[in-house]
Amino acid sequence: MKAKKGIILKWIGVIIIAIFALSPILWGLKVSFTPRYEVSLIPSRLTLEHYRYIFSRPEFLGYLRNSVIVATGAIIIALPLALLGGYALARFHFPGKQFSFLFLVFPLLPLIAVLVPLVTYLNRMGLYNKLTGLIIVNSVFNLPLAVWMIRNFLVEVPIEIEEAAMIDGCSQLQVIRRITIPLMVPGLVAATVFIFITTWNNYLYASALITKPSLRVLPQGILSFIGTWGTYWGGLTAAGMVALAPPVILFFLFQHWFIAGLFGQVMK
Amino acid sequence: MFLAPTVVLVLLFLVLPIISGIVISFQQTTLSGETSFVGFDNFKLLFREERFLNNLRLSLIYVLGNLVLSVPLAYFAAILITSPEMRGISIFRAIFLLPFITAPVVSSVIFLSLTDASSGPITLLLQQITGTRPVILADPNLAMWTVIIHSFWRSFSFIMLFLAAGIATVPTELYEAARVDGASSWHLFSKITFPLTKIHLALSMLIITMWTLQDAETVYALTRGGPGYSTEVLAVRLFKDAFVNFNLNLGAAIGIILLIISILFMIIYLRLMRVET
Repeated sequence: MKAKKGIILKWIGVIIIAIFALSPILWGLKVSFTPRYEVSLIPSRLTLEHYRYIFSRPEFLGYLRNSVIVATGAIIIALPLALLGGYALARFHFPGKQFSFLFLVFPLLPLIAVLVPLVTYLNRMGLYNKLTGLIIVNSVFNLPLAVWMIRNFLVEVPIEIEEAAMIDGCSQLQVIRRITIPLMVPGLVAATVFIFITTWNNYLYASALITKPSLRVLPQGILSFIGTWGTYWGGLTAAGMVALAPPVILFFLFQHWFIAGLFGQVMK
Repeated sequence: MFLAPTVVLVLLFLVLPIISGIVISFQQTTLSGETSFVGFDNFKLLFREERFLNNLRLSLIYVLGNLVLSVPLAYFAAILITSPEMRGISIFRAIFLLPFITAPVVSSVIFLSLTDASSGPITLLLQQITGTRPVILADPNLAMWTVIIHSFWRSFSFIMLFLAAGIATVPTELYEAARVDGASSWHLFSKITFPLTKIHLALSMLIITMWTLQDAETVYALTRGGPGYSTEVLAVRLFKDAFVNFNLNLGAAIGIILLIISILFMIIYLRLMRVET
């Protein structure tokens, strides 16, 4: 009886925390479907007018397209490099390997401090106000953690499988392509989801590198809408929900791998 | 060899900029674009400035406020999601993590509408309690609270995951033995859970401290550092100086200061962890 009471109390706790975590998002969702000028807590009817409005704006479609380009580009550049680097960290012994913990330290440093001189560089290289520049910066800044995630998954794959293939006459690269990558699918998916979500959500790098309105990515676009739309919350939250959807979908599809990838080190 | 591209890129995009950041911070640029070496002038200018000292103070308040709110809830949530008798809890783990994967700009928009002066439910709730309708983001104190609570909402579940990982390593026999001896829940926590998860706590606190310290996005999106300078943390000041007002020298100097503060925090946390082990 006492144990049962304990479980009920625990579930009440879980539900309270879930309400805390969810209510702002549900509020945003509600506002995005509520007709303009309706203020009651439970709307009398739902509407798609805000979504229709934002999708009729060419600049919003432009931001969306830029975000897709940048996130995809970052994955294309960072993933192969992370795979190679993660493989090296997991499999080889080489001088200086003891410094690999720096891969975990770098992402913690205030990258905003690095951005100031970096913008000057990219400007000189002709990459300022170019999506390419933004793709490169996102790739590089996500690379250390992506390398680490792949390393964590790889240490789990028994090296004997690879050694057997080597004995059968495969080269190192063949082994990676035929044996390791198929075994690595969870790690690659986790790293892809990680790179996608952080790049997609990022506002800071974009605002430092892109000033041209036509090249803005979604978070920049949404922030600029606050400036021009003022308190048109229906449109603002609708744009927010569109920006929120891809990370949430990917997260729910792959949360197990994603969490294992982020926390591989401590989850053991 | 496989690692070479990564190492080269990291050196090129992280280490080199830090070095030239230090150089830029010792320079001054005139309107005509000429640069000259000015020694510590930029730093002296900053530390003599009331606004900058306030930036520093707010950054500390921001970090501390976020941690003080996040850690207790994170512990509570971590204990709940690791309870063996809770079935179907993993869906809740995912729900708790939603704030963490929401884009800062998106959650800022939501919090802006929650605190809207005429229709925001938080505004209306405060009106019910106090009798007057506040303009939350125009009030220096309430604005800072909003900034802190927003970050608390975003980060508690990240700490929760670390702590849950720590709790999972505690042998269940320990709890069973203590229960047989009649220990209360508080005893279980203070004598078993907390001591055995200190490392996980320190590590997650370190990460959240770093992120909060360098967070310009959410604060800028919510308040632009205002009203006045009342929520202008160090990172927002840097962001404004460097990327809005294009004073790169001052921005670089603040960046170096931010970097030094981060490294100090890192050393403190790592010391704490070493003492524990």
